[in-house]
Amino acid sequence: MKNAYHDLVKRLLDGELTLADLPPELRAEGEAALQLLGALDRTPVTLSPVVNSRVMAMVRERSRSRARRALRWLVTPREVRFRLRPWLVGPALAAAAVLVLLVARPQPPVPTPAGNIVFVRFMLHAPGAKSVAVAGTFNQWDQNAAPLIPAGTDGVWTTTLALPVGQHQYAFVVDGRRWVADPAAPGVDDGFGRRNSVVAVTRQGARTL
Amino acid sequence: MDSRDAATDGEIVRAVLAGDVERYAVLVERHRDRFARYAVRMLGSHDAAEDAVQDALVRAFDHLADCREPEKFAGWLFLILRNRCFAEHRRNEREARMPEEAAGSVAAPDRSDGPAERRERAGALQRAVLELTPEQREVLVLKHVEELRYEEIAQITGATVASLKMRMHRAYDRLRELMKEHV
Amino acid sequence: MRLFWLTAAIAVAAHLPTRSALAAQDVAARLEGRAPATVVRAVQTIAQDAAARGLPVEPLIQKTLEGSAKGVPPERVVAAVRLLAARLDEARTALQGAGIATPGSEALEGGAYALSAGLSADQVRDLGRVSRPLYDPALTLHIAATLTALGVPAPRGVQLLRHMIQSGRTPNDLLDLPGEVQASMARGASAAEAVEALDIEDGGLGHQGHQGEEGQARQHPHRP
Repeated sequence: MKNAYHDLVKRLLDGELTLADLPPELRAEGEAALQLLGALDRTPVTLSPVVNSRVMAMVRERSRSRARRALRWLVTPREVRFRLRPWLVGPALAAAAVLVLLVARPQPPVPTPAGNIVFVRFMLHAPGAKSVAVAGTFNQWDQNAAPLIPAGTDGVWTTTLALPVGQHQYAFVVDGRRWVADPAAPGVDDGFGRRNSVVAVTRQGARTL
Repeated sequence: MDSRDAATDGEIVRAVLAGDVERYAVLVERHRDRFARYAVRMLGSHDAAEDAVQDALVRAFDHLADCREPEKFAGWLFLILRNRCFAEHRRNEREARMPEEAAGSVAAPDRSDGPAERRERAGALQRAVLELTPEQREVLVLKHVEELRYEEIAQITGATVASLKMRMHRAYDRLRELMKEHV
Repeated sequence: MRLFWLTAAIAVAAHLPTRSALAAQDVAARLEGRAPATVVRAVQTIAQDAAARGLPVEPLIQKTLEGSAKGVPPERVVAAVRLLAARLDEARTALQGAGIATPGSEALEGGAYALSAGLSADQVRDLGRVSRPLYDPALTLHIAATLTALGVPAPRGVQLLRHMIQSGRTPNDLLDLPGEVQASMARGASAAEAVEALDIEDGGLGHQGHQGEEGQARQHPHRP
């Protein structure tokens, strides 16, 4: 191309080289190129607050129509009914029965717990902590996914999670950096020199192991 | 602002999905301007950028259940906005619309280097930037306005560093050609 | 401003589809942005190998996410994942030895967990044998591992579980065992004593020696 910059000038623009790295005969071209690029407008941009109100107006309108559809789903009778007594049904069959239940149910517009989900409460006594979370295999060890909140003033933190049936490893995270196993249970070595706890969830409830 | 603003993006996404729709306003406030400069430089005008960001925020709400990782709402929002910016360009092309004029005068260039001259040069450069292909424009904006490294741009766009450099270098040459009369 | 973009760059990567094949694709997609590239590459290799051998990849991904979340140095994360893959393999051999032709992922994880708690492959096999067809081996393996962690000698814990199952106790009763052992120990009993007390309740098994009991089938009077 007629107006092609020299390769070294392009690398100068990329930030790989400085002007001093260029041979003398290219310095003028380099300077001109830098000046051209330097004219790019970099001022930060603030949009108008009216964006916020327009977005929220549309959000509210959409959630109103979504709520109307959800209500209709809730009052419609379910197609499939199961009464499971899991201790008489083998684990494989129970899993298949639950799978069928999920498939038979119409897809709701808002998420609802499936039949093999149990609500489990996690509690930790951590007075003086600024934040407490629980992280484990049920939330990909993401310490931001399940924060606990203080329950009262005696340093007890708590949260309730919906967990599927099975065994899940977990630990508490205090102040974003201290990993603490459930003090009420023996737990197991996590392979990194620390301890994890295990919560065994069955349809009748949950235990920390 | 109340104490709930200390909540993370992921917490707010989950709260909104659970039915607390009003809390989406916190995400809007947090992220409205985050990619605004990118949108303005990509689309060429403040108004177009505002429309694009607004659309992206509403679309993000519509598909909030599809956000695979709620803590990474910002990245997901950016993807939506980016698609919107590219779609806008395609629509402009189809309708044979000229990209909007950037703010700034269209005065004839002179050799002095005062603030008016600088503004004019900036305006001319922005017009030239709008003549690039959207892919070239994006890598230019991300590298030289948002000041990201090639590796980071590769992560965002899914292109390889090698192809990004090729695009960038073609953009340099194209800009030089377009800005010839201002040198 | 640049910091906003750095987080966005990593965040965007989490939502973009990847192009590599099979287990490696799953691994890369799940770990991108959560673990350093060297770890992702190493775990991809381990996972591909595990998948080729028919082992579940999910526990390996979870272990990687765990180590990265805990700020563990990369070499240690990779070592733990490699060890876990080996334990899953060992658990599968043990459970197949128990007559379970294709153990499920949860059973394998339970077996790996039990092995890491100090149970032997033979004990894992015994528990697998006794946990069918109504008792989830994943559950019994986890309970056995917990009893071991409490200080109950492994063969004793396995035997207790076998007795409970043969007596027709429900899986939830089995789940209560660690808590009951802990409660006894809080009252001053040793772990072994706590287990003996439970076993006595369970049908008059009386005192048992602690040597050479694994894998032995015993006839016991059942509770009416």
